[in-house]
Amino acid sequence: MIEKKNQARRALKVAAALLFVTAMVWQHIQAIRLGYQLDKSRQHLLTLRCSYGMLQGDIETLLSPANLSLQARSRLGMSLGSLDSLRVLAKDPAENPCSGIFQRLLSRARRTWNASLDV
Amino acid sequence: MDLQARLAVASGICLLPLAPLAARLAHLQVLEHRQLQSRVEGEVLHAAHEALGRGEILDRRGRLLAQSVPAWSCFLDKTPIKDARAAAERLSPLLAMPASEIRRRMDTAARVVRIKDGLDGAQFSAVTESKLPGVNLILTQKRLYPNQELARNVLGIVGAQEHGLSGLELVFDERLRGKPRLLAYLRDGSGRVIQNASGPAAQRPEPLRLSINRDIQFHAEEVLREATAQFKAKGGMIIVEEPATGALLAMAATPPTHLKNPMVQDTYEPGSTFKLVTAAAALEESVVSLEDPFFCENGTYEVSPGVFIHDHEPSANLNLQGILEHSSNIGIAKVAEKVGTKRFYRYTRAFGFGLKTGVTLPGETAGQMKSLPELTKVVLAASSYGYGLGVSALQVADAYSALANGGTLYEPTILDGKRPVRVRRVISEKTAQTLTRMLEGVVEHGTGASARIPGWRVAGKTGTARKVDPRTGEYSNSAYMASFVGFLPASRPRWTILVVMDEPKGQYYGAQVSAPVFAKLARRLLAMEAVPPDADTNLAAVP
Repeated sequence: MIEKKNQARRALKVAAALLFVTAMVWQHIQAIRLGYQLDKSRQHLLTLRCSYGMLQGDIETLLSPANLSLQARSRLGMSLGSLDSLRVLAKDPAENPCSGIFQRLLSRARRTWNASLDV
Repeated sequence: MDLQARLAVASGICLLPLAPLAARLAHLQVLEHRQLQSRVEGEVLHAAHEALGRGEILDRRGRLLAQSVPAWSCFLDKTPIKDARAAAERLSPLLAMPASEIRRRMDTAARVVRIKDGLDGAQFSAVTESKLPGVNLILTQKRLYPNQELARNVLGIVGAQEHGLSGLELVFDERLRGKPRLLAYLRDGSGRVIQNASGPAAQRPEPLRLSINRDIQFHAEEVLREATAQFKAKGGMIIVEEPATGALLAMAATPPTHLKNPMVQDTYEPGSTFKLVTAAAALEESVVSLEDPFFCENGTYEVSPGVFIHDHEPSANLNLQGILEHSSNIGIAKVAEKVGTKRFYRYTRAFGFGLKTGVTLPGETAGQMKSLPELTKVVLAASSYGYGLGVSALQVADAYSALANGGTLYEPTILDGKRPVRVRRVISEKTAQTLTRMLEGVVEHGTGASARIPGWRVAGKTGTARKVDPRTGEYSNSAYMASFVGFLPASRPRWTILVVMDEPKGQYYGAQVSAPVFAKLARRLLAMEAVPPDADTNLAAVP
């Protein structure tokens, strides 16, 4: 009886040791696999960064003054406006006789309120 | 023999063949452990610096001027390749290269050959998935300039190793490269890689923000290109500077080049634009009053026996205002005589001529100025109207900016966010205001009439200088530098604009060639920035 118990304990110890070794080996293999996956992800990240950078560059190129000017002239038939055709409107609507009455009233009210706060 | 003994003997006989294996294993793992480990590490472990993207270069408003993106270089190890033609045929669609070109590159004695640089992400993925034997992809970076040739003379270029070779790419090379991290990595038998970082964390480069405004640069380059074509000039330069801070908003040059910036590296004789220095000295030192008349010899003046000065427009008596408006060389030479050599030399230096401006651009020249002992009567006379000396375009723009901001010379800067560096006060505010009014007169009723912009007050000066013929060493009758430099709006200057045209054909006066270019660019800037007209002009509102 005692011998059987001893044998069982020995068998358990051997099994535990084998399990431990298997776990260590499995962990090592998993670490290597994770390393490979990580490297693959890094490569993927680089390709995405490359695509992102290229797209960013494309946006800048499309929005560059040279391209906008070309598109405006060739496709839309636009041309540079002369300085004489521009009118600079006053920033404050109250000073601009062409702005709406509500805008002007609102602007005046805002100015009065700001002035009272300063006092 | 009992059972246990028999079992022991049988086990011993079965395990005996393993004994030499165990001994060999012990020998390798224990006795030769260190030697074998270093061999393995040498083959399997590698270290390299991380391929860190080069820093971005932005304009004043944060728009991209230069950036780096990851790219790959494709190398081919010819050893595992049995059929070169088949390999080239398979690679050709993946690399978007003709198979014949791939075979031509493979046709060398070297074992490993470079096939193509600058592969993008899609090409990298396609080549990797194809699992072609012998193909290796090395990570690099590719430098992109989204605005193509815009400001390339300022930005410069980078070489194959992503090192700056010219311009700002060279000056700020270390900053733009950052500090990459050292990576250790394992490579297994099939070439797969596992990375481990082993050095301190990488220092990614901060973007470099310039004072250059992309839109102003574009307009300057376009206007300059058109003028160069119109006047069939050899080349030209335009600088736009913010007089209050010295910030450089645009630096355009033709013919376009990535390798040099002629506005800081080349010198030219400025001609009548240099009269600013003489006039400023005379007013600041009070040696001349606004009403003093100077007899301009009706166009020809013998300054020294056998040495004559000519005016393009003969005049009799002119005051200082008239001298500038008519650009009289004789008149300004006589003013310079009153100023004297010492004061003239001092003001030349005070305005920054003969000295480097300190701008962070490579290869800046200090120009060529006569030293004080060399300023004889004839040399002084010639120098007073910009002959016999060499200046850079940036020096001229900077000098006029000093006038525009009320008399203080600032160090020109190409970087945004940098605190303006005040060099020195050159002239008083009163002298600056007087001179500004005179230069407004040049535009209103003088030689600078082509620079006039109705509704806005413009102050400026024309300049036309003969070039020296390198074959004869004498001044040419057919090669001129035509320039105009001015600032506007004169009431509160926002921009100093210098235009220099090199050897225009047909028309060659600054008034005919450069002043209209100035006006064209100035109009665009006024419209773009919606600058209201100067106070004393009344424009009707939109009906």
